[in-house]
Amino acid sequence: MNGSVVKVEEVTKRFAGHTAVERLSLEVPGGGIFGLLGPNGAGKSTTIRMIMNIITPDQGRISVLGSASSRALSGRIGYLPEERGLYKKMKVVDQLTFFGEAKGITRKTARVKAGEWLGRLGISDWAVKKVEDLSKGMQQKVQFIGALLHEPDLVILDEPFSGLDPVNSQVMKDVVVDIARQGKTVLFSTHIMEQAEKMCDRIVIISRGRKVVDGSLAEVKRDFGGRHVALTFTRNAERAGRVLADRSLVAKLDDYGATAEVELAAPGDPDRLLQTLVREEVGLARFEVVEASLQSIFIAKVGVEAATAPAKETVHA
Amino acid sequence: MHKIWAVIRREFVERVRTRAFLLSTILFPLFMAAMVVIPGFLMSRSTGTQRLAMVDATSDQLGQRMAASLSAARIGRGEAAPPRYVVTRIPAADRAVAVRDSLLPMTGRSRKLEGFEGILVVTDSTVTQGKAEYFGANVASFDDMRELEQTIRPIVIGRRLEGLGVDLDQVMKSVQGIDLVTNKVADGKLTGESGAATFALAYAMGFILYFSLLIFGTQVMNSIVEEKNNRIVEILASSLTPFQMMLGKVVGVGLVALLQIGIWAGAATFFSANQAKILGALGIASTGGTPLSFPAMGPGLLIVFLVFFSLGFLLYAAMYAAVGAMSSTTQDAGQLQMPVMMFVLVGFFSVFALIRDPNGTAAHVLSFVPMLTPFVIPMRYSISPLPILELFTAIAVTVLGLLAVVWIAARIYRVGILSYGKKASMRDMIRWIRTA
Repeated sequence: MNGSVVKVEEVTKRFAGHTAVERLSLEVPGGGIFGLLGPNGAGKSTTIRMIMNIITPDQGRISVLGSASSRALSGRIGYLPEERGLYKKMKVVDQLTFFGEAKGITRKTARVKAGEWLGRLGISDWAVKKVEDLSKGMQQKVQFIGALLHEPDLVILDEPFSGLDPVNSQVMKDVVVDIARQGKTVLFSTHIMEQAEKMCDRIVIISRGRKVVDGSLAEVKRDFGGRHVALTFTRNAERAGRVLADRSLVAKLDDYGATAEVELAAPGDPDRLLQTLVREEVGLARFEVVEASLQSIFIAKVGVEAATAPAKETVHA
Repeated sequence: MHKIWAVIRREFVERVRTRAFLLSTILFPLFMAAMVVIPGFLMSRSTGTQRLAMVDATSDQLGQRMAASLSAARIGRGEAAPPRYVVTRIPAADRAVAVRDSLLPMTGRSRKLEGFEGILVVTDSTVTQGKAEYFGANVASFDDMRELEQTIRPIVIGRRLEGLGVDLDQVMKSVQGIDLVTNKVADGKLTGESGAATFALAYAMGFILYFSLLIFGTQVMNSIVEEKNNRIVEILASSLTPFQMMLGKVVGVGLVALLQIGIWAGAATFFSANQAKILGALGIASTGGTPLSFPAMGPGLLIVFLVFFSLGFLLYAAMYAAVGAMSSTTQDAGQLQMPVMMFVLVGFFSVFALIRDPNGTAAHVLSFVPMLTPFVIPMRYSISPLPILELFTAIAVTVLGLLAVVWIAARIYRVGILSYGKKASMRDMIRWIRTA
């Protein structure tokens, strides 16, 4: 696949009282995993809902798979909404069959695929149970299958890993990676940076409805600069604290006590920092010049203040 | 099309599988069966010959005549039928109370072969004041009491007339009433239906539509509110058009309604047709009357009814769907559905209003109001078949109304289903219709 699969141009969406998304542009290239990152309330879900044509933007244009209406192409798109919804009284396999049919595949195919997926995610035993009898994690798996059953070219997942335990999180991650490996496109939103850092080829970070970072993960890290040093202390950590508090050496400090991640005041200064620490007789188990973690880039770009979410977004016409 | 089918099937199958559906489907015929059996029980009568003691305190031959008349009464028809009463006449002159008291210990005994089942006390005042007394265990049986009364009444009346010098037979002949037998004629042919049956049929059809709209229309509305609340709509909306979602739901629920009503109608027909057999099997003698009877429905009327039932259901269910889409909670929906319910009520009551003059001006006009047509036309057709042209015009008008309602409802629906949090106002609704 070449060209962009999703193209969002100068899109603005306002709700009563506040602007959820402001002049946002982004392009999701075909193939690979695209991360839409941002703190709670940044406008991730609103953006995804607009891409899904569930709500319409006030300004700007959106095209998906080269078409202005994603609904006409619903068979080629898989969608996992942020607020999960299942028919509670329906049996798991019936529910998945219905979702498949709604996407346009035949009843028979849907049933077969549902069986395969339930097996793959290890919940075959629950196929004929009612959804309401399932645990939350299992319901989420069912919802996840519902988005993938019809083998879409583009998979859009809104916070796919929220509320999952590490084991299930791992299972879902493997599935997502596998889909991308088949040449399909995955767009997912999250506020968990570790996950995004491991999985995404490209990211966009939005904050308060505006785009603050856009690019491939490598580009983003390179642009942010290699001015970061990861430290692990063995003794005299309190003296290290004094050294790191020196603003002429360290611009920013992320202190965890026994370990720390620092941003140097000027590039090329790691030598000076090391010398100072040695002079102060700080015991070092690790002194490594590193790429900034996505987490620190995120904090730096978004700022602490943005991490406090505004009032929960609601959808109005 | 395939997608709409998927939605219809889901709605139908999931509803039919519920315990509530099963219960209501079974309970209603049980209720029908009870309606057949219980009146039978209430009206049951003593089946065998009754031993009757007659305390005769009359001064002339009245007592003897009554005894003769009672002895002549038979259970059923024919010469061979067993006698209704075995009468023991006890002349008592002016000691009626004392004789009665002496007989009481022998009356209404649990051991059936002894004594009497009842004591009838007649005195001269039976003629002058129309008073007679009966003492027995079976006083609660309307049929027994009615029959006893009917047997002795002519004797008393005869005696009074004799006193006036009039011949009883001549009087009986002259007071013979007329029995107006109603026979429905439709399209120049005898239909074999009576007036009461025709009315019952028109009423029943109106009631079925009214009942289905209230029950199943509300179900459509509430299930949409529910889908909104658990956010399934987002998944549906990303796969289906609002029109597909709405039509699928309305048709699916409509088919459930037809199935349930079909089962009920079948059960009702079965019980009313076999009432005598069922009562017989339960050991209850049929009284001859039918406490519950269902009028027969000709094939023409059945088709007309089904066509208008379907159109009416779709029309109203689409409105209920729009109401559901506009609401965030079932309470909101309950308030917003009032205007729709008003139409249903007006439609239902128009059946009563128009049945007196089914071919009058009002009936003609209301036949072409889309909201009311589904109620009015089957009623009119049941009384006299309508001209084909009028029938098809009515269908066309209803279909046009249906399309208009569906068009508006779909527009409200497509915006409404994805708007949460607040109840839509009238202004919102108009805006949605215009911008969607």
